[in-house]
Parts: sequence; structure tokens; C-alpha cells
Amino acid sequence: MSELATAARPAGIIAKTARRVAVALVISTAVGLLLVIQWKGPPSSLFLRTTIIGLAGTAAFSLFEAWPRRLPRWLQRWALQVVAVGVSMPVTTLLIYILATPEGAPPFWKDAARMNGWTHLTIAGILLAPWTALAAIVRQKEAFARNQKLAFALERSELERQALDARLHLLQAQVAPHFLFNTLANVQALVDAGSPHASTVLRSLIAYLRAAVPVLHETAATIERELQLVRPYLELMQMRMPDRLQYAMNVDPAALKVLCPPTTLLTLVENAVRHGIDPSEEGGRIDIDIERLGERCVVRVTDTGAGLDQSGNGLGTGLATLRGRLQLVFGDAAHLRLISGAPRGVAAEVDMPART
Amino acid sequence: MNAHATALIADDEPLLRDALRRQLASVWPELEIVAEARNGREAVRLFDQRHPDICFLDVQMPGLSGVDAANHIGRRSHLVFVTAHDHYAVQAFAQGALDYLLKPVERPRLAETVSRLKERLQSSRPAINTEQLLQQLSAQLARLQGRGKGEPLRWIRAQAGKTVRLIAIDDVDYLRSDAKYTLVAWRDGGTPAEAVIRTPLKELLEQLDSEQFAQVHRSVVVNLRAISHVKRHDNETAEIHLKGRHDVLPVSRNYVHLFRQM
Repeated sequence: MSELATAARPAGIIAKTARRVAVALVISTAVGLLLVIQWKGPPSSLFLRTTIIGLAGTAAFSLFEAWPRRLPRWLQRWALQVVAVGVSMPVTTLLIYILATPEGAPPFWKDAARMNGWTHLTIAGILLAPWTALAAIVRQKEAFARNQKLAFALERSELERQALDARLHLLQAQVAPHFLFNTLANVQALVDAGSPHASTVLRSLIAYLRAAVPVLHETAATIERELQLVRPYLELMQMRMPDRLQYAMNVDPAALKVLCPPTTLLTLVENAVRHGIDPSEEGGRIDIDIERLGERCVVRVTDTGAGLDQSGNGLGTGLATLRGRLQLVFGDAAHLRLISGAPRGVAAEVDMPART
Repeated sequence: MNAHATALIADDEPLLRDALRRQLASVWPELEIVAEARNGREAVRLFDQRHPDICFLDVQMPGLSGVDAANHIGRRSHLVFVTAHDHYAVQAFAQGALDYLLKPVERPRLAETVSRLKERLQSSRPAINTEQLLQQLSAQLARLQGRGKGEPLRWIRAQAGKTVRLIAIDDVDYLRSDAKYTLVAWRDGGTPAEAVIRTPLKELLEQLDSEQFAQVHRSVVVNLRAISHVKRHDNETAEIHLKGRHDVLPVSRNYVHLFRQM
């Protein structure tokens, strides 16, 4: 928005006015040079007159650009400006010739030489000025379109920067302290109790951390790599809520080598846990389906948890950044869909090109 | 008194309930754990049945949170919150007089808490006035979970037959209000689609990011990124043409300044 409005600043107005005056001066000098051959008086008076006429036309053009503020529907502003510039020509020449008549001399139309000069100036003005005005309007519209294009390009690059930021934030939050400390509390509990499960859980945690930490530096991952992250994550979560979380994975082996932005699958699964299973007293089930359909790869995570109604506005921080990252990598070729499940829960689906 | 002290433990993670019970047994063998709850609702129900002297409440539990349960219990019991590393929540606890334990619970820290609790029980001092603190905590938790206001809207919920679609706000081209409904013109994986929702345009507008969405007409809000070009009419109105859509949106006089040229 702001880019579009910059031209309205004082500096813009001064530059614009200077440009117009310069164009008017050039054109009036050119007309003066054309007419000077058969000009009867001193050349300086001719150039003075063409200059005044040119500036008057510019003034008329600028005046009707903004005034009146509102126009009736049948009247287009460009037409008003062109007509105004055209009309300003005879009016200005008339004024010049009346005001320049020395006291006591007859009016200019009774002096053949002066009448001749007036006619030439007026005709030249009427012929040239409206076309100049029209050209100015066309140029201006083109510049506006260009400006707008630029503004949109700027917005796009801003969007890309935001997506990059989002990725960084997500990666930083990947090994969230909350998750880590909660899991460690569980490990401690198992160790204290002398449970044989302690080492299994530790192994899952190590596998998760080993997979999660290098992700911080990578720009692309594969489905296989994502699974290395998601499996231990789900094992850990199930250890923490054994009575509330079940899960199953159904992975098409043809999809394993497909490339995706890092933590794509983990984001979907984490979202299902955090917004589906965790807020639900009864918990639920998470199904992961990964399929390769020719040139496309579909990753679907379905949960039977709390569902869309209870999850509140917090839903989607992770998903929104995932959308941004998919957009960055695949453009419009990848889609993230969210559908409420029946009778409860959410299905989140990434449909992307199967690049390997 | 000590010998008869009773306690309730609420945590949604069974391993952590067991751990706390075991740790308490070694630090305070006389304490009798009379109830274990898996969520806030259960904690409230069990409290009403058993009226324990002390409640150990996990802050983040499904359904009713620990803070919600504490609100119900009020001053009828001594409250101890248990939480994993949560910078803001911990700060809130530390500022208030509420007792809290960090997970994983360390034995020396638990011993401190236990001696404080014993002291309070012995002097039969009533539990400290917690209402205001709990209110602050609830607000803090809501903020943590992103339920707070001021967050720009990210998804629009739209009914399509029996399913509910979540439409990402970036996919929305424009919103137009009709007599009763709001029309959402959006892109379903690139192809133009339309949905109808009940939320009034005015209410949606308040939640939209003003950098991305602009009202251009009394009944139209447009995603600036969806605009292909703006045609200005010389009668001080304009029309918006969208990328990949044939719809033309009106810009009324009051909003035409948004697209003013040089």
C-alpha cells in the first residue's frame, strides 16, 4: 500500500511539476523556432509569448487533474484535462494580445501584423497542446501500472523473507524445551523405578535428537528422513500418554526418496498431537498415510482427537509456517489441506510434486 | 496432624504421577495419597469426594487445566503446581506466592516444598489467598496457548456439505458480505473456489492482518496479493481485477485513495 502512496509526498509533487514545466518549455521553444521565420516583431517577444502559453497550458492541465474533486459520472477526467488545455490556448493568447497592446493603440485585430501573429500562436497552440496533454496522460497511466507492478514484486519478496524467518523460528523451536524436559522427567521416572523401559525410551529420545539436530542446517529432507524423526517422536509421545495415544503408519516405499521441506511430516504429526490428542481427555488415534501417485506425493495425517472446534485459535502456527515453506519450495504446485474428520478429529494433507 | 495429611496428584502422564507418588513416599512417608487424577475434570471430581489437604496439579492437562482445577478448589486445599520448563508460567509462579515444582522434580526442591507444606498444615493456617494469582495465571496460560486476542486470523472455517474445511487466510482472494452470509472467494490448490460462512464481514475484518487485507467497499475486503491491477475510473471510483479470476470488485469513493496514483 505504502509504495503506491509514495508519489503523493511533497518531493514527488515537486519533481512532477518540474518535469511538466520542463516539457512545456521545450515545446514552446520549438514552436517559437518554427514561427520566428515570419515573425514581424523582435524574436524575444515571440519566445516570451510561446513560453507563457506553454506554462498556461501546463497550469490548466495540473489544475483539472485534481479539481473539482468529484466529477459527474459522464465526465472522464482525462477528457476534462484535454479540453481544458485546448481551451486555455485561445484564452491565453487573447489575454496576452489585449494586455500587450500599448495605451492608445488600436486593438490587435485591427493591426494586420499583430492579428497575423495572434492567429499563428492560437492555431499552433490548439493543434499542439491537447495532443501533448493526451501524451502526458498516457505516459502517466503507464508509469502508474509500472509502479504497481513494482509494489507487488516488492510484496512478493517480503513474503519470501517472512517464509524464511518462519522456517528459522520453526527450526529453533524444534527441540522445544517443554517437550524435552517433559520427556526427561519421564525418563527419570523410569530410571528411578528401575523400569526396564528406561533404556528403550532413552533410545527413542536419542534417535529423535539425532534426527532433529542436523535438520537445523538442511534445506531439503526426504520422506525417509522425516520418518526417522517422526517414529521416535511418536514412540516418546506414546510412552508419555500410553492410555491416550495410538498410532499407525502406512508408507508407500516408492515415496521414501521424495524430497520435501525439512520437518514437513513432523509438523503435521506434532500438530495432530498438540491440537488433537493432547487437549482431548480420551485421546485418540493418529494415522499416517504416505502415498506416491505418479508425479505427486500425498502425505496425510489423520487424528481422532479434539477436532477443529475445541482446538482454538492456537491451531495452525506450525501449519501456517509449513504452508509458507511449501510455497517457497514448490510455488503453487503444493497444497496443504485441512479437513475436519468424521465424527471427530482433523485430517491434514500435503499434496506435493514427487521430486527425488 | 502430619500423620493424617492427605494429598491428590493430578497429571495426564501416568509415569509422572507414579514418579511424584514415589518421590513423595520417600520424602514424606506419612503423607497419604488419596486420589490420582488424569485430567483437570477428574481432579475436581476426586477433590470433591475426598477433600485432600494438598493438591499437586500439573498445569497443562487435557480438558480442564491445572489452573482451572485450582480455581474450583480455591482455598479449600493447599495447592502445588507442577510444570515442565515453561518460561512464562514459571515466572508467573515465582512472582506469586504459589508453590510450584519443575519437572523433572528434584528431590531437594521437593523436600523444601514438603517442609513448607508441613509448616502450614501444623499452624493450621488457611491456604493463601490465591484467587487473583490464579486469574493472572489463567490469562498467562491462555496467552501461551495462543488463545489471546490480537493474533491475526490464520484460518477460516467453512462448512462444505458434511465436512469442515479450513481455508488458509493466504488462499483467500476476497470476502464479500451478502445479506446474511459472507462469501469467501479462495483458491483450492490454485483453482478458484467459493465458500459461504456465517461470520459477519465486520467481525472478520477486525481479525485480519491489515497489511494483507484491505476494505475497498462497504461490503468487500480484498487480499492485496490477489490483485492483478486496479482500473481507476475518472469519476473517483475504481475497479479491482484479480489474478486468475474474472470477478471484478468495486472500489467505492471512500476507499479509492488506497490506490491513488502519483
